[in-house]
Amino acid sequence: MALTRRQALKSAGAAVAAAGIARPAVAQKNPILVGYLPALTGPSSSTGVGINRGIQLAIEEINKSGGIDGRQLELITRDTQSDPTKAVNGAAELTRGVKVSAVFGPVNSGESLAVVPLLARTNTPQVHPCWVDTLTDVKKYPMCFRNAPTNQQIGGASNRYVVEVLKKKKVAVISDTAGYGTASLNAYVPMLKQMGADVVYQASIDAANPDLKPEILRMQSAGAEAIMPWSVNAGFLSRIINTRGQLAWDVPICGQTTLGSGQTKALLEKPEYWAKVYPNNFRPVCYGAGGKLPDRTVAFLDRLKSHKIDMGDTLLWWIALGYDSPNMIAQAMKAVGPEPEKLVDYMNQLKDFPGVYGDISFTKDKHDGYRDDQVVMVEANSLKDGAFNLAPGYGA
Amino acid sequence: MLLSIVLSGVAIGCVYALIGIAYNVMFSASRVFSFTAGTLGMAGGILGALFILKLGLPVWAGFLLALAGGAILGVVTEILAVRPVLKSLDQHLYVLSTLALALIVQQFAAIEWGTDAQPFPRLLNIERNSFDQQFWLPMVACAVTIVGLEVLYRRTLLGHAFRAIAEDNYAARALGLPERNLRMASYAIAGVIGALSGFAGGQMLLAFFDNATLLTFYGFVPVALGGMGNNRGAVVAGLVLGLFQQAANFLVGGVFSSVAVFAAFILVLLARPEGLAGVALGRRV
Repeated sequence: MALTRRQALKSAGAAVAAAGIARPAVAQKNPILVGYLPALTGPSSSTGVGINRGIQLAIEEINKSGGIDGRQLELITRDTQSDPTKAVNGAAELTRGVKVSAVFGPVNSGESLAVVPLLARTNTPQVHPCWVDTLTDVKKYPMCFRNAPTNQQIGGASNRYVVEVLKKKKVAVISDTAGYGTASLNAYVPMLKQMGADVVYQASIDAANPDLKPEILRMQSAGAEAIMPWSVNAGFLSRIINTRGQLAWDVPICGQTTLGSGQTKALLEKPEYWAKVYPNNFRPVCYGAGGKLPDRTVAFLDRLKSHKIDMGDTLLWWIALGYDSPNMIAQAMKAVGPEPEKLVDYMNQLKDFPGVYGDISFTKDKHDGYRDDQVVMVEANSLKDGAFNLAPGYGA
Repeated sequence: MLLSIVLSGVAIGCVYALIGIAYNVMFSASRVFSFTAGTLGMAGGILGALFILKLGLPVWAGFLLALAGGAILGVVTEILAVRPVLKSLDQHLYVLSTLALALIVQQFAAIEWGTDAQPFPRLLNIERNSFDQQFWLPMVACAVTIVGLEVLYRRTLLGHAFRAIAEDNYAARALGLPERNLRMASYAIAGVIGALSGFAGGQMLLAFFDNATLLTFYGFVPVALGGMGNNRGAVVAGLVLGLFQQAANFLVGGVFSSVAVFAAFILVLLARPEGLAGVALGRRV
């Protein structure tokens, strides 16, 4: 049958119209891409490995329950290998190549320091859990949100515990000579003094020093009633704990979360040396009075167990933080869609997002979403299923 | 307090002295100052912990394998970082080549072993006391090494050959001595001594990749103070360094103790550039 010019024009017009109508329908089925920059390998990967277990569970649950208005959430992962340079390369690829709608991570401060300015330049909404104070700034990085505490909150919780709960006024504050250690020492000593504490000994010590007995004896002779070490170096922290134990000096040690890590535990000369060691942790993932976790956390633990997610070699707060992050992003996308400006507007008004790791709220002027009262101290030697008992003195 | 200063000072001084001897053994055989000496110490600690704690081998097997690992690393140093630059020794390229190899090995250890310090096993099943094995094991290792090297160098034909290439390698080669093999053997011995220092001091220093940096710097001080190639000088200077460092820790504390150590080091070198036990050599003009 011969095709007339009119029939051909009609067919072409119908095809164009059909294509125009069909295009949005196809687009609606496309997955929403979320960039993810964890350190899954390399020297600082233990945090990333823990967080990743929660992330994968959350993505699976979100997609099984229908995704974002029928669209699946697809995680585009670039392992930073604990290297800021690789994190920057990954972030550039995610934003300029893959063109993701939002990014979660990096999960280590060193990598975030390199990545946050880059993502700000590409107008990509970002959520990260890193503690370094300068990693959020509503003027410089208006699309960057932190769903974890700042260093100020971490130090503040330790200081409050020592001065207000333990009622210790004479404090020894020490750090290693790394950037994190010295920055923490310089930030927390003035805070302690403001609270009325007497910092009787203050020093930055080479973490490689194999014998810390001189330092501990100097603290002792200065009359210290509590030791506050700031370092992420398990070797350094374990030497402090071991030397205190050898000297049978019964003062509390309060400080960074690494005091309660498995690496620190492995380096102790005697298990009993871990008594009266109180690291930072987070109330929603801690055992309270009667050894009970909050209901929300119990339900989460049950889900972890039903999915056979291993908790023996990691910490509950890492998994919980990983679980909460995509859920928070998904909640925002369900409400306003994946457009960057709308996402940021929504996040700027987020109030009490009910995370397992903690409730998160942001405002236009404050992108640090974690509440002060959720940062607590715990008993280092109470680790069970990745969680700790609240330190003595906290209410239920 | 005095006992504590002396014990830990002498113990850590012995570790520094052993690293200094490793520097010297490599230097004597090649006139190359190999900055892999501290890395050998780090390797001894990590390999000891790996074989005994992770793989569950008996202490004696872990000890021998750690020393063998050190010997292999010593030979690799000679082949990869020293031999290629011997022809242009006066350009000091060995500083770059040996430092580069040291950094490669250290980073490899960081990636494979981890960046956290890990436990080193208790080697002898003895109750902890004030004169603990973590203090006396490095002392024993140092004494055995000194005696062993003295016997090797002064009482054996092989030792005389080592001394011959150390004195004048051209003359030694002219006499038919296998200079390259002797140099490789010297690097293997240096590897064993370096690994021994890390193994014997493992309970103090732990199995930690960054011990390489510490030992490279603090192991260099006894060599500079004791005179290059002078093992007895390295031992005396290592012990003095350990005691001085611990005393500085007690007296000034914090990072100031490191400042005190290196200030004293610079002052000594200003007064005696050839080292405390070194001999100033005249240059023929």
